Amino acid sequence: MKFRIYRYNPEVDKKPYVQEYELENIEPGMMLLAALLRIKDELDESLSFRRSCGEGVCGSDGMNINGVNGLACITPLDSLKQPVEIRPLPGLPVIRDLIIDMDMFYKQYRAVKPYLVVNDPMPEVELKQTPEQREKLDGLYECVLCACCSTACPSFWWNPDKFLGPAALLQASRFIEDSRDQAFEQRLEDLEGPFKLFRCHTIMNCVQVCPKGLNPTKAIGRIKHRMVTRSL
Amino acid sequence: MSVYVLEGLRPWVIQRVSAVYIALFILYCLYSLLTADSHDYAAWHGWIYQPLHTTLVGIFVIALLFHAWIGMRDVVLDYVHNIMLRIFVLGLLLGILIGSGLWTFRLLLLAL
Repeated sequence: MKFRIYRYNPEVDKKPYVQEYELENIEPGMMLLAALLRIKDELDESLSFRRSCGEGVCGSDGMNINGVNGLACITPLDSLKQPVEIRPLPGLPVIRDLIIDMDMFYKQYRAVKPYLVVNDPMPEVELKQTPEQREKLDGLYECVLCACCSTACPSFWWNPDKFLGPAALLQASRFIEDSRDQAFEQRLEDLEGPFKLFRCHTIMNCVQVCPKGLNPTKAIGRIKHRMVTRSL
Repeated sequence: MSVYVLEGLRPWVIQRVSAVYIALFILYCLYSLLTADSHDYAAWHGWIYQPLHTTLVGIFVIALLFHAWIGMRDVVLDYVHNIMLRIFVLGLLLGILIGSGLWTFRLLLLAL
């Protein structure tokens, strides 16, 4: 099976280039991450990429696969057209090969205060929710922060320092919808202005690429709906 | 004046409300066109200077100006990152839209 992989080591290379590899003996059901690990073991140990759990839970191995962002560990090789073009996630600086600098992504994630804000004294046991209140968080809490969505979003490419991006906005929605959170008003107020939320133009690349099947566009729409009902 | 006139939520709502009005108004214009007895200048003049139609056209122009401003502002905010250039382009755009609006309203008011 043929692969064309983006290579760039800023300590050695003046500019990025594409390197071709060919792997024999591809087993049925093999995932892309397994192929990359075999390329690294058998053909070129200098190839660099992030990976950890290997089963779509940690979100480390996000990359651009044949033009579409995804997690290598849950992408079956037999679903890919050859040669398989692999590039780093677009829109963020490359540290080396398929490894990107995710500082901007995490900065936007931190900006939405991705934790419960509770001003009342904490109860002795736990903060309880009804099943209905808990159900509202489905589709919002499952994000693994792989950055596939935000780096597929043109609005995030143009303004990564000002627009929060789909991943951070999904998290914002997750805490806005949480019945235990007491910063509802403040969270909505923080998202006002032309950039943080309203650079989203409903392009929906985020929905197309999310490896967990989540829908950040719907979550963003829900935030806008909350803002409108709050202002009425 | 803020360079991001109208800011975040408000323009988003105005853009949608104005889009609905513009769509309905265009449908009404098409209906009027199809049901008109004649299609000469006098018929058009008579139609547009009925008080109801003058008012509807006036609202349409306002909706169109707001809709154009918000759409173009979004394009500029997305793509023009140099702050001075952004202020210049937005200022120019605002001037053109306000000028067009005043000109249209002059025409509408002259006939009343």
